[in-house]
This record gives sequence, C-alpha cells and structure tokens, in this order.
Amino acid sequence: MDEIKAGLSEIDCDVLVIGGGTAGPMAAYKAKMKNPDAKVVLLEKANVKRSGAISMGMDGLNNAVIPGHSTPEQYTKEITIANDGIVDQAAVLKYAQNCFEIIQELDKFGIRFQKDENGDYDVKKVHHMGTYVLPMPNGETVKKALYRQLRRARILISNRFMATRLITGKSGRIAGAVAVNTRSGEFLVVRAKTVIMSMGAAGRLGLPTSGYLFGTYENPANSGEGYAMAYHAGAKLANLECFQINPLIKDYNGPACAYVAGPFGGYTANAKGERFIECDYWSGQMMQEFYKELQSGNGPVFLRLNHLHKETAEHIEQILHTVERPSRGRFHEARGTHYAETMIEMHISEIGFCSGHSASGVFVDEFARTTVPGLYAAGDMASVPHNYMLGAFTNGAIAGEHAIDFAAEVDFEEFDRTDVAREQERVLAPTRREDGIPPNQIEYKVRRLVNDYLQPPKVTRKYELAQARFAEVREDLENAMVVRDSHELMRAMEVASILDCADMAACASLYRTESRWGLYHWRTDFPERNDADWKCHVLLSKQADGSMGCEKRAVQPYIVPISDDEKDAYYKQRITAEA
Amino acid sequence: MTFEPFEAFTDVEDLADKLHDADASVRRVAVMELADTADPAAVALIGSALKDESAEVRLQAAIALGEFDGRETAEMLVIGLVDADPRVARAAADSLAELKDPAAADPIFPLIGHADPRVRSGALRGVKELRRPEALAYALRALEDQDPQVRVEALGVIGYLKAEETLPALIACARDPMAEVRRTAVGALAFSRSNHAAEALIRALADADWSVRETGAEMLGKGRYARGAAPLLAAINDADWQVRVKIVRSLGQLKVVEAVPQIAAALGDEISNLRKEAAAALGEIAHASARPYLERYVDDGDPDVRKNVRWALSRIE
Amino acid sequence: MPLANTSTAVPVVVDEGKCIADKGCTVCVDVCPLDVLRISELTGKAYMKFDECWYCMPCEADCPTGAVTVNIPYLLK
Repeated sequence: MDEIKAGLSEIDCDVLVIGGGTAGPMAAYKAKMKNPDAKVVLLEKANVKRSGAISMGMDGLNNAVIPGHSTPEQYTKEITIANDGIVDQAAVLKYAQNCFEIIQELDKFGIRFQKDENGDYDVKKVHHMGTYVLPMPNGETVKKALYRQLRRARILISNRFMATRLITGKSGRIAGAVAVNTRSGEFLVVRAKTVIMSMGAAGRLGLPTSGYLFGTYENPANSGEGYAMAYHAGAKLANLECFQINPLIKDYNGPACAYVAGPFGGYTANAKGERFIECDYWSGQMMQEFYKELQSGNGPVFLRLNHLHKETAEHIEQILHTVERPSRGRFHEARGTHYAETMIEMHISEIGFCSGHSASGVFVDEFARTTVPGLYAAGDMASVPHNYMLGAFTNGAIAGEHAIDFAAEVDFEEFDRTDVAREQERVLAPTRREDGIPPNQIEYKVRRLVNDYLQPPKVTRKYELAQARFAEVREDLENAMVVRDSHELMRAMEVASILDCADMAACASLYRTESRWGLYHWRTDFPERNDADWKCHVLLSKQADGSMGCEKRAVQPYIVPISDDEKDAYYKQRITAEA
Repeated sequence: MTFEPFEAFTDVEDLADKLHDADASVRRVAVMELADTADPAAVALIGSALKDESAEVRLQAAIALGEFDGRETAEMLVIGLVDADPRVARAAADSLAELKDPAAADPIFPLIGHADPRVRSGALRGVKELRRPEALAYALRALEDQDPQVRVEALGVIGYLKAEETLPALIACARDPMAEVRRTAVGALAFSRSNHAAEALIRALADADWSVRETGAEMLGKGRYARGAAPLLAAINDADWQVRVKIVRSLGQLKVVEAVPQIAAALGDEISNLRKEAAAALGEIAHASARPYLERYVDDGDPDVRKNVRWALSRIE
Repeated sequence: MPLANTSTAVPVVVDEGKCIADKGCTVCVDVCPLDVLRISELTGKAYMKFDECWYCMPCEADCPTGAVTVNIPYLLK
C-alpha cells in the first residue's frame, strides 16, 4: 500500500458531489431521490462512513427553527444582526423555512434528537431572543444513519479519492473534476453535468497552540481544498476576512459546547467564576469579548459547571464525553479535572474559514449556486452564514435538488484535454524529485506564519510581510517539495490548498479597510466599523491575469426588514456595567 | 491501467459461505460485510448468525441488524434479545431501539411479558418510537412490574402515545417509590391538560426528590396550567436553587402578576442563574409593579442578568 | 536537502492479541478520516503508521473486538 502507481480511469455522471461529510451525503441523496435514473457520484477523500466535521456525531442543533418556538423571519433577523448586516437574506430565510422538514427527515433516518416524555422535540432556550437549540445527547450515530441511507439509495461512492482541481469548459461552465487516489496515486477524471462542492471548512489554516499540526478545532481533513478549488475554477469567494475563531477547551482544542451546558445552567466564566459575555448570539463580537477577557486581569476563561448539582454536571460530562469529541473524557482524566469539581480552562481556536460558525465561504445564492454555471457549494465552505450542521444538511438538500434539475437540461460541457494532463503533472511533480522539502515541513511553516502574521488583531504591515513570506514558501512548494508515497502526496496537495487559503485570507483582509465582525476582522489601523463604505460583501476571485483580487458587492435588499428599534434592542442589552 | 472507483455492492449470496467458516473471526468479518451491503436480503443471513456458537459472532450480528428495519429485522433481533450472553442481549436491545417501521412492533410485543426484566425493558424500549396503539395494553401491565427500569420504559411507551385513558395509571406512577419512575411519570402525564394532570404536577412540587420537583415545576409552566400558579408561588422558596429556577420560569410563562414581589426578591439572589431567570420572568409578566425592582438591577454584575433586566423593562414600557 | 528519520510517539495503540485484521477485518483503517492506520505486512495486524491524529476515535469505537485505544497525543496531553 501507498506506493505510487500509474493509472487513470474516466467516468461520467449527472451530478458529482465532492465531499462526503454532512452536506455532501444529503445532496447526493436528494439528487438521487428526485431522479432515481440519474447517475450520482459521491467522491470522498477519506471514507464516507466516518468523514467530515461530524465523524463522531453531533451533540445538538444550534439553529433549529421549529414551529411554535421560533419563526424563519425572526431567525433571519437574528443572523442578519449577528453578522453585522452583511447578509443576503434570501439564502438564510430559505434555510430557516426548510430546516424543520430536514429535522423530521433526519429523525426518520434514525438520527436521534432529544424528545420530551411525550415524544415531542425538546427545544431549549439558550439565546436571549430566540429559541433554537435542540439537543442530541445520543447524536453519536449521525454518520452511521446517513451512510445507511446512501447505501439503500445505491449511490455510487468513491472513497479515498481526493479531488484536486475542477475542470471548466470553454464557456466557463463546469465540466467535471480531476481526483487522485490517496493510497495509489491513480487518477480519476470525472466528467459531470453539474458539480456540488461540500468539502468543509478550511480548518487547518492556523496552527493550534499545542503545535501539533493535527490538533485542530476542525477535523484536520478539512484543509480548505474546497476554497482553493473554487478559486482556481474562477468562482468568487465571499467575506473571507470574516475568519472563524471559536471558543474551546484549552490544549484539547475541542469545542467547549456552551450550547450543551447552557440549558442545564452551565456557562462561560472568567477567573472569578462570573459571566462576562454581553453578546447574545455566537458572533465575532462574542469572540472579541472572549479575547479581551482572556487578556484582562479577570482572565483566563473557563467553562463553569461546578455550581450545578453533581448529578447535573456529571450528566453534562457524560454527554460531552460520548458525542462529537469523545476523547475529551480521556483528556480530562489524564489531567484529573472533573466538571463537577473545577472550572475547565478555555481558550480560543486558531483561525480558519468556516461559514458554519462565521460567514466566509464560496459565494452562493439561495439555490446554493456559485458564480460558475453548474457549480454548487453547500455546508461549511459555502457563504450562507452561521450554518452549523443543520445548515449543511438543509443547504446540501437544496443543492442536490437544484443540481439534478439542472443536469437534466444540459449536456456534458466540452473541455480541453490538456487541462487534465497539466493537472496530473502538477500533482505528480513532487514525486519526480529525489530529495527536497517534505510536505509536513512546508505545512508547519505556512501555518506558523499564519499565526504570527494573520491572527487578529490584524495589522496592515504584518499582513504585507506575511504575503512576502507566503510567496517564498510558494517557491519551495512548487520547486522543491518532495513526496515519497501516495499518503504524502495527499498531504502535499493539502498543503497547497492551505497556502492558497493563507494568501486568500491575507488578500481579503487587506482589502476591507475597516473593522467588522468583532475579533474576526479587527484591524488595529482601521479600528471603526464604516457602514458608509463597507456595508457590502467583499468578493475575492482569480483575475484575468492570474492574480488574486477583490471587489465589492452590494448586500441584497433585506426581505425581512430590521428597524432601528430592533437593532437598538440588541445593542442596548450589550451595554457593559459601570465599573 | 484503469480501475473501478466505486464502493462495491456485494451480492449477499457471495458472503453466505463465509458464515460457515471454521474460524469465528472470519464469520464475524462476514457479518460486518453483510451489514455493509444494506441489502434487505442480508437480514435473514445475519439473523442466522444470532444462533452461532460464538458469542462474538452473535454480538456482531446483533449490532449489524441495527442497520436494517422492518418486521423481519425485529423477528431476528428478538432472538438476540433473549441471548444468554448479556453483551449480545444489550446490543440487540440497542438495535431494536433503532427500528422505525411500525410493523416491526408485532414480533416484539410478546417479549414484554418475558421472565427476564432486561428483556422486558429492551422490548418496551424497542416499541416506544414505533408508537403503535396496541402497545398500550402491554405497557400498562408493565407498570405493575417489580423492576423499576421496566416501569420507566413502560412509561416511555405510554407517554409517547398521549392517550387520555392512561392518565389514572400515570398519576399512580407519580407516587412510585422510585424517584426516577416518579420523574418519568410526571413528565409523561403533562400531555393532558386536565385538572387531574395539573393536580399530579402540583403534588410533584412537594416531592422528596429534587429532580421530581424540578420536572413538576417545569411542566406546569410548559403546559400553561393556570391552576399551577398558586402552588408554584407557594413553592418559590424550594430548598434547591435548580428547582427555584424552574418555578420562577413557570410563573413567568403563566404570567402570574401576584408573584411579582416574590420573583423580584430572587433578583437579589447570590446565584446568577436564578437572578437571570427572575428578570426574564418579570419580563414575561410585564406588569408595571415590577419596574422599581428591575431598575435596581440594571447594572447587575452579570451580563445575562443585565440583558434580561433591560429586556424586561422594555416590555413594561 | 537530504531527509532524516525523526522518531515520534503515536497516540493510537492496537492490542495485537485482539486485532482480527489477519482474518480480513479492515474497519479501523477504513474509518480513519486522516488515513493514518495500516495493516502490517509483517504481523497482519493494524498499527498507526503516520503521526497525524485528530484523536476523534472512530477507529476505537468501531473496532469489533475492542483492540484499539486512542490516547491523547503527547504535545497536547
């Protein structure tokens, strides 16, 4: 295993879904259900059984819009405000209108949501304004249930194939993708009428404070290929300067799960054991407050459960140690920390791109369409903000159903065969060298530079220095990287995506000369929010000359209007207490 | 060189021989491969592995059947549920709980009367999500069971069916000697908006166990039982603060104006969770008499309390 | 630049007495999202080949015989 073999196969399909985590399986399933005669292929770098952000399950829905508890309009307002107004509401509203149906469908698949003793969804109020949290204390079976549905629907699954580039035709329409097997180096060319990208976050961008390359907040398999491939195919990417930074358990680097503990009375506290977060909804503003408390005399920050009944704290502990990131139980055991007894030290994550928690993603409309005809995107890599797991499922479903109709209308797009040969040569170049720099060293260097220069607060000169250093590393990557087997080849392709993402993060951040989204885009030399010039999207794309560039795009007129009163209602509640 | 890029859909019959291999580990791998086919034709074969001489193979078969649904799957799983090896029986019970097809309930019903309490519990848990009205008779009988876990599972079945005629039995269980049974019963009877249900919830406010009192307090508000107002107010000084939180929340949901002074007193509590809930409840009630109390706490040290105080004041305006 | 071999302690441990990879089982290798496990040509048993672990645990949870243990990588333990 792992030796590089020469091999090439070519297949055709109506819908190619790249990425078998959360949005991807749902997209493939919905496409196939809508047209059972169509050929739907699901490509996955790992194995669909356990891939993606939810490989070990999920402990709750953070954004469930369930009749009787909240309305789509209210949710849309909340997300618009949480995202500082930079939202095309059509996509958010559509998610909110469709998500309850998806919950019911997932329930039928065998995914378990918390129900009360009468079998009704046990929705919890965590936020100040709306009620959106549906716990999943037994949510460890999510992937199993999804995989079962894919197999029953007889969807064609290609595991261990890593897509490296999209292929577009002469007219600019999508034509397919090139992929490489991660265990043999053999190539697969997929001709497709439509392509849905669901390749997750760019979660391997910053370096965790532990220094361990794979100890990331996100699943490190989510290394940003979706963002890089969309960019090289000419798609536009939205608001990449709105980074993802999340609260987490320090060193362990897993989520602190305030949404799990919240309904039981647990909360994020400072060293005095007191709450300090003013902001209601998870947002960059909230992370700004977290960051400031960490740096302050009241820091650091802790997850506090030790004021609760021992039984209550242990119940929460049991959920956290079973679902989503279960190895945290082992982490705490080694440190001798028990949630019922002590507060648990927290920290903030390394930076990344992830619309699931923030807003940065490949620009899509309410049908999950990117700016490249025939190309769709859903989940953590698409630009619908604050999506979480349920957003990935819902928007994946929207993408699948739209793409299958599109595929029925069109024929295969013609493309230039030399594009495929050129891509094969790019992928295999590091295998042709006898010695050089291995991918893990290049990766460490890129990600260390990301931490040194790109991590907020953002400073213009530091960003320019980062760009210069990234260019030097790119030279090494293109001319000196050496790869000895197919596994390392996968890492080599990943680090190329990581470097592309680092460059995009720098470029987009420098373009928006204001501060917005709290910590996510805090520019110390432009510290104020400037609505007059910047209440717009920033779209990044590859320019005609091959360089990276940005443009402004107006926010679409709101469908759900937000009066100044309502905005004030939020801001008024955030007023800090007099010292 | 070309290759086949797709995960295979192996023919079930091709795996059948491996189930008779002399090596138990090979048989075990065969069971896993059968599960991966997702082909309903695999159910009977996996079921046959539930009679394997190796407990490990039987365990694997019980787990594997969790990937399938329908009556036939249930017929197989009930074999695993009565297995002598407790690991096999537990895995079969877990797989039974995955079933979604109501038709799967029929082969499970008879096991609700089995001699082994673990089998009775597992069978009840298996039929709960299937919501078959015929399950009621079995579950009601199981409420008399000696084993408290069986009684809890039976309450689960009954609670999901929300049948008014089960109310007397549920109310009786709210007096069960075991706290977990009482708590489950109190949660299960809250579907009924009747006075009898309300009275049972009110009695729960005086329960010896805090978790029963907590559930009773929560349900009175969630179900908007107007009769709960005075008893909730009387219980507002419960010894347990987690119970007080639910009482205050329910008084808010019921908009009990008379409770304003006592809820307001909780604004000064040392536990911030309680102060937060008190402010929210005063906002729900939105009565002018709360204003002077609330104004005193606009600068509470806890941001969640401040937010709720400000929201409450805006509701009164 | 020539390459060196630097040693590293890996977090995933396989109990060879319990592992049935030699009987055709590939579960842990299949489910790893980072693809860091392999079956040894020497012993026929599974082992961790690459120190690239997210300590996410499908390998341990899905192992039919309980042969796999995931430890927390030393750098963040």
